[in-house]
Amino acid sequence: MITIENLCKRYNRVDAVRDLNLDVRAGTVFGFVGENGAGKTTTLSILATLMLPTSGRAYIGGHEVTTDPAQVRRLIGYMPDSFGVYEDLTVREYLAFYGTAYGVAAPVIERRTRELLDVTNLGDRADEDVGHLSRGMQQRLGVARCLMHDPPVLILDEPASGLDPRSRVEMRELVKNLRERGKTILISSHILPELAEMCDEIGVIQRGALVACAAVEVVTARASGQRQLAFDVLRGGRVLGRVLQEHASVTELLTVEDERVDVLFSGDEAQQAELLRDLIVAGYPVVAAREIGGSLEELFLRLTENDQAPPVGERGAAEREKAGTA
Amino acid sequence: MRDLRQRGGQARHILRNPLLRKELRQRMRSGRTVLGLSLYLLVIGAIAFVFMYVNVQGQTLLLQPTRTAELFTFLSYLQLALISFVTPGIAAGVISGERERQTLSVLLTTPLSPLSVILAKWLASISFLSLLIIMTLPLYSIVFLFGGVVPSQVFAVFVLQFVELGALASVSVFWSTWLRRTLWSTVLSYATTAALFLGFAVVGYLADTVAARNPDQVIWSYLAGVSYALNPMYMQASLESSSGFLAPNFYNPAFASIFQTVQAHSLSALPAWLLFFTVYAAGSALLLVASAVRLRPGSLAIVGRRLIRWMSR
Repeated sequence: MITIENLCKRYNRVDAVRDLNLDVRAGTVFGFVGENGAGKTTTLSILATLMLPTSGRAYIGGHEVTTDPAQVRRLIGYMPDSFGVYEDLTVREYLAFYGTAYGVAAPVIERRTRELLDVTNLGDRADEDVGHLSRGMQQRLGVARCLMHDPPVLILDEPASGLDPRSRVEMRELVKNLRERGKTILISSHILPELAEMCDEIGVIQRGALVACAAVEVVTARASGQRQLAFDVLRGGRVLGRVLQEHASVTELLTVEDERVDVLFSGDEAQQAELLRDLIVAGYPVVAAREIGGSLEELFLRLTENDQAPPVGERGAAEREKAGTA
Repeated sequence: MRDLRQRGGQARHILRNPLLRKELRQRMRSGRTVLGLSLYLLVIGAIAFVFMYVNVQGQTLLLQPTRTAELFTFLSYLQLALISFVTPGIAAGVISGERERQTLSVLLTTPLSPLSVILAKWLASISFLSLLIIMTLPLYSIVFLFGGVVPSQVFAVFVLQFVELGALASVSVFWSTWLRRTLWSTVLSYATTAALFLGFAVVGYLADTVAARNPDQVIWSYLAGVSYALNPMYMQASLESSSGFLAPNFYNPAFASIFQTVQAHSLSALPAWLLFFTVYAAGSALLLVASAVRLRPGSLAIVGRRLIRWMSR
């Protein structure tokens, strides 16, 4: 649904995007991860027809963004990383304006406004001025605005940035809901655990180049040759620590306390289950054994700590075509 | 007939522009608009009333026609000054303001064409002042009660003011599109307005001075005529002095000088008017197209491609 081929964007002497290749299949949620200034917003702006690339091509639904921008605009709903609203319009007027701008018929606008206000939990705010909404509500209204013309593709640039935890959860649920409705979503963020929950695939961009691109599970697994495991025990954490240190799959003891032991574990899930069973059989009072999150963050740090990082599971359009998996 | 129907269709299309409707809704329902309109009418009404009251005192006649003509001239110049001062203030932020409020990028991802966005912004920015001008019409009609001014003169002055309003709004929209900050856009819009009024007057005066010293070089006199003809202040004076009753007895020496210049350069003649309207109308259209090209990247390339496709048919 979204294809990017050798995309480059150069500002003066700086390469904002370098030879970027990407292929997002219809109905999937693709997470675009990168530091500030990595080139995420530039790439999304090019896809949203707001910017021309220096070279390369980008297609949405088969339409090239520079030669057929009008058609592309009808196919996408775009939410920039920071956007303003017409504060003196009511929520209903705001959505109606964008619906009309997209040429949606008046009765459809009315029906769709009701539906979208329902989906975004803004039904009781329909007649309030947009300026009176909280930041989280305005973000959700932004998503509703993107959906007024029912586009098959959504491009969301950092939709959760600047939101409080509750609003972030609501935004995450909203994206999941849209995925269930079959929308193709390209979403950028630097909050990696959240992306892992929402996305089917993730691409990591660093200094304008894609350094990793694969399914979330693959990225997570590759990112983490070793995982951080935390064992909660009723007592005797120090003894447990010594026992765990002897285990073949435990590479390092991270924390040893009376009631908790953290280790770096290099085994797979089966080995983890086996270790847990052995500990319980041996009579250690283990209450819980859990994986500490952040593996994606580890991956991100590892990939971005030097520019020469090798691509992990890179799966650009050309490569996909070769593999016949596109 | 078909042409008329087509034009009617185009007008409806422009009025159906969702951005224009939104802008009009936002502008016209605000308290500031109502307050601005009321205050302006109150001030203009008070001026007209005081003027008439002072002139009626000790007169055997109710009001002399020459005095009503002066009232008309005064009010119309007041209105021209208002247009010149207020238009850049309203229009200079229409696009840069959207950019600063971060609403422009979203607007540009809608299927609205750049030209329709620019036209909607332009029409919306002139709507308030247009309403203001139209609302003063009943006040102007007072002068008809006492004679001294003919309806065609009033009509011509209003047409000139609408052309001027459209041109100043185009200039402001142009700067607002090309510059990122509303502050700079406003500064340059006022600078351009000042250049239209003062710049052309100064160039005209200098050319007149040189022409007086070199009577054999007609080019200077011609340049002076063109400069004055492009100055809205002089062209308005040319309308009001066209029947010749105002210039000699006008009480303000500065105005009298304008009217004398108008007569000296025959600015009431048709060529001067054609020049004024052509330059201002074409200039406005060009500025609006240039703004549309600037608004969205690649617009020019797309227009070029369409043109080539159309020509190759």
